[in-house]
Amino acid sequence: MGLLRWARAVSPWILHFNTGACNACDIEVVAALTPRFDVERFGALKVGSPRHADILVVTGPVTRESEPRLRRLYEQMPEPKLVMAVGTCAISGGVFAGCYNVRGGVINVLGKADMMVPGCPPRPEAILEGLIKLVERLRGIKKR
Amino acid sequence: MVLSLNDLIAMLIFPGFFFLILMAFFLEWLDRKVVAKVQDRYGPLMAGPAGILQPIADFIKLLSKEDIVPRGANKVLLTAGPILMVALPLTALLFVPIDGQSAIVDFEGSLIAVLFILILTTQLVLLIGWASANVFAAEGSMRSALQMLSYEIPLALTAICPALMAGSLSLSEIYRAQAELGWPFLAYLPPLGAISFLVFLTCSLAELERVPFDAPEAETEIVAGWMTELTGRRLALVKLGRNLDFLLMASLMASLYLGDPITPSLPLLAPAAFILKTLACAGIMSFARGLVARFRIDQALRLFWTYIIPISVGVLVATKLALLLA
Ligand code: SF4
Repeated sequence: MGLLRWARAVSPWILHFNTGACNACDIEVVAALTPRFDVERFGALKVGSPRHADILVVTGPVTRESEPRLRRLYEQMPEPKLVMAVGTCAISGGVFAGCYNVRGGVINVLGKADMMVPGCPPRPEAILEGLIKLVERLRGIKKR
Repeated sequence: MVLSLNDLIAMLIFPGFFFLILMAFFLEWLDRKVVAKVQDRYGPLMAGPAGILQPIADFIKLLSKEDIVPRGANKVLLTAGPILMVALPLTALLFVPIDGQSAIVDFEGSLIAVLFILILTTQLVLLIGWASANVFAAEGSMRSALQMLSYEIPLALTAICPALMAGSLSLSEIYRAQAELGWPFLAYLPPLGAISFLVFLTCSLAELERVPFDAPEAETEIVAGWMTELTGRRLALVKLGRNLDFLLMASLMASLYLGDPITPSLPLLAPAAFILKTLACAGIMSFARGLVARFRIDQALRLFWTYIIPISVGVLVATKLALLLA
């Protein structure tokens, strides 16, 4: 399955979802797509539909409002799928942890996060590094 | 009809299916690279030298992904649609003189057949969007159908102009006529040839649903338009079909407008020249993608119905008159 692993590793299509971020993380994720950082070098495309995506990039603490949507988006993605939490909020709830309307990080809701990029907000270089490390791990995923 | 070995090679390898599919992948890579360069980026870099294997990697990855058919969707249509999406442009490409001399299937009226297949492709978009049972897909396919009502007329009218100039409806014949004439139709009867080329270019952009006419798959508004519910294999085939469509429009442009007097008689240069011309046309369309923003669907319709259609009618009439007078 070497060919398949290679294909998956060089073509990670990402879907970006804001679960309630303060918008700083979103700006950094978008900055990773811009000419200066150019995530397309690694074959990554930002797609609009969860049905096309391989990696769900979540920014922000998961609020009660966005929790069902996050679950739906994740369930709509075809296997094999990965989750990447960008920013301290998406990892644990960050400064918003313990708020009455916050469920915590992605891991509290989906039960998994394949890559966590800490930072408030993380720099685009950090997001790129996270993506590359995730992609390297992707080479190892077995077909279900 | 008995098929000889040569026919079989022409059909399957060059300039047949194998070559066409490779070309389609290559065009996608070129497209992404050109847009990246316009935006001062690198574009795909990691898959193969300069990322040239990127479209193939995408294709293999999509083939291996989970296949989801949403509840309520029409499974038969969702399966048949993507397959036809690849088959139709492949068929149409057999009518185009890719080797620079004569098409694999050449008959009087192949231009009409190609135009007909182009309409069928858009109908398929409508069917896939409708069969997906998704609001975004339905909205996207409706937009696609609306757009078709506006660009199909000028597309056909301007494609007839070179046919009038050549006095034939066969694509290979039109390409050869330019060699005999000594002028590409782009520069023939100035400025009629050039205007008709520009109109054809605009209509091709709309036909391919490319920027600025990509309202049917506008990802900032309606998720991914009519492709929203396609996963895995279906998406892979649809993407390949779109690339083949891209190749088809670019090679149509090359054969209708960019003939030249020297190369068609030379055995090796003829295919090379034709492919270069096709790449140039594709390059123009990719360049447009990096440069312009998207029209809203009503703006696109208004543009076509108030400007492009009258211009195309005018060009057609003027061409006929000029040919009568000449
Ligand atoms: S991690 Fe910081 S920058 Fe990112 S959403 Fe939370 S508060 Fe905002």
